[in-house]
Amino acid sequence: MTTYGARRPGVIRTALLWLVIIGATAWLVFPFYWAIITSLKPPGVILTKPSLIPFLQFKPTFYNWQMEFTQRWREISRALSNSVIISAGATLVSITLGTLAGYGLARFRFTGRMQNKDLTLWFLSQRFLPPMVTVIPFFLVIKAVGLLDTRLALVLVNTTFTIPFSVLIMRDVFKELPEEMEESAWVDGASHFQSFWYIALPLAAPAMAAAAVICFAFSWNEFIFALFLTLKAAQPITVVIAGVEHTQGIQFWFVATRLLFAIIPPTLLALTAQRYIVRGLTFGAVKG
Amino acid sequence: MQEKGRIKWLFVGPGIFWVLAFTIFPLLYSLVLSFLRKRLGQPASFNFPENFVRAFGDYRFWDTLKVTLLFVVASVVLTVTIGLLLALLFNREIRGRRVFRSLFTMPLFTAPIALGYLGLTIFHEDVGAVNTILRALGMVNLPRWFSDIWLARLAIIIVDVWQWTPFCFLVLLAGLQSLPREVYEATALDTSSGWDVFRYVTLPLLRPVLFTVVMLRLVEAFKILDIPFSMTSGGPGAATQTYSFYIYLTGLRSFNFGYASALAYILLVVMMVISMFFFNRLREIYE
Repeated sequence: MTTYGARRPGVIRTALLWLVIIGATAWLVFPFYWAIITSLKPPGVILTKPSLIPFLQFKPTFYNWQMEFTQRWREISRALSNSVIISAGATLVSITLGTLAGYGLARFRFTGRMQNKDLTLWFLSQRFLPPMVTVIPFFLVIKAVGLLDTRLALVLVNTTFTIPFSVLIMRDVFKELPEEMEESAWVDGASHFQSFWYIALPLAAPAMAAAAVICFAFSWNEFIFALFLTLKAAQPITVVIAGVEHTQGIQFWFVATRLLFAIIPPTLLALTAQRYIVRGLTFGAVKG
Repeated sequence: MQEKGRIKWLFVGPGIFWVLAFTIFPLLYSLVLSFLRKRLGQPASFNFPENFVRAFGDYRFWDTLKVTLLFVVASVVLTVTIGLLLALLFNREIRGRRVFRSLFTMPLFTAPIALGYLGLTIFHEDVGAVNTILRALGMVNLPRWFSDIWLARLAIIIVDVWQWTPFCFLVLLAGLQSLPREVYEATALDTSSGWDVFRYVTLPLLRPVLFTVVMLRLVEAFKILDIPFSMTSGGPGAATQTYSFYIYLTGLRSFNFGYASALAYILLVVMMVISMFFFNRLREIYE
């Protein structure tokens, strides 16, 4: 907690400060608020009467939600379960590979042309690649091996996209664990895998959970690969919401409910990973 | 740090294999495609460097490049500036700061594709939130967000800024809080003005973090596709078609794989030049 160079702040300055804080919060929350009230508007009202305040301007109804959970539930539930399976699968593989590689980079010295820093950067560089560069080869290969419209194809894709996060976060965390604890285990005759498994891994568990949250959220939000590698059966929620534009115009009520289906899981999950978000999203360049 | 043994490769090997198989291989494949005349269902033939030559004479290449650069510059400048101002503001004892910080992570994890559709309803010309508010404030000639070239671009920039400012804010705030406290105490004794403290103390100390933020923002901004895709479909006309959008249309709508791969490789080269600066700094951090 710091108040650098602070003189006693005056009443006006405090008021201004709070004004900005309230303004920023309103700006931040407004789109979520808008999505929620739109989902509660009766379909007839949405396109005829512009409104911002429930109860006062319109009578909120759960009709749109009811429709989603009854008539359209088959489509929605399939999309949601696809999203969950794809994201969970990709997270699992990504975290497994990333934890192993992160430990390797933190505990062993690599010499020669590919030293530790080079290998680390090499893992990271995937994140700097525009996805459009690899979407066409992916499409052709996935099509050739008959994996179009399967969840497996998207697990492969999203694992690839999230590996930089898991490697970099885990490397950072293992580097911070004191090596001495493992050294004494090695003296006692434990193998590297034993010390990794029984000593380092449990200590790194919170960071692993946070890395998993980040991987899950990024996989959940991925769109363009999902659009091209799925037709129907394996479509995740991001692709299904892209189908809401019908010939008769945008169906606002669909949009609102489905957007919320897509937005809520990753944003809420991310709230649990606060401590590692800055470090994770900057690949360890800034400690949060 | 241990050096000996093959065991280290058991740890990093699987990850290396994965990246080779799913990043390096597609990249090489893409490079080969860019040398070919290849469309879906047609035999491929070698035609280097025709795809690359074609790009430089293609007006859509230049147009989409310009739109992308506009978005990149606007988004990076706005998100970093606003993020920095907010971070400076929040870098003090404020009750409930943790709650604010948590709130600020939510836009980061909102699916851009969903955000684009949400933007579509927020900027809708008749019943959208923005025009409803403007109408309530008494404005008569409401902006036609999706019919006007510059308004459509502005709408996209606003949505992008909403999504990314919190990232800049969180990282810069973390950077500010890691600055050594003693320096400030020393300057406070020198009775410098707030601006002087910022200009001569905070800013130089914050430079590495600021550099990181700008680089990461640049890289992400160049990828922009989902928000224009869902919010404006590139319209009106091609006013909000970004470079990635053009690759998408060429490769996955017209199925001209050869040309699309060449376009993608040109983007890759640009990104590599930008990342090189950043990688030099990261190499020091990862030492």
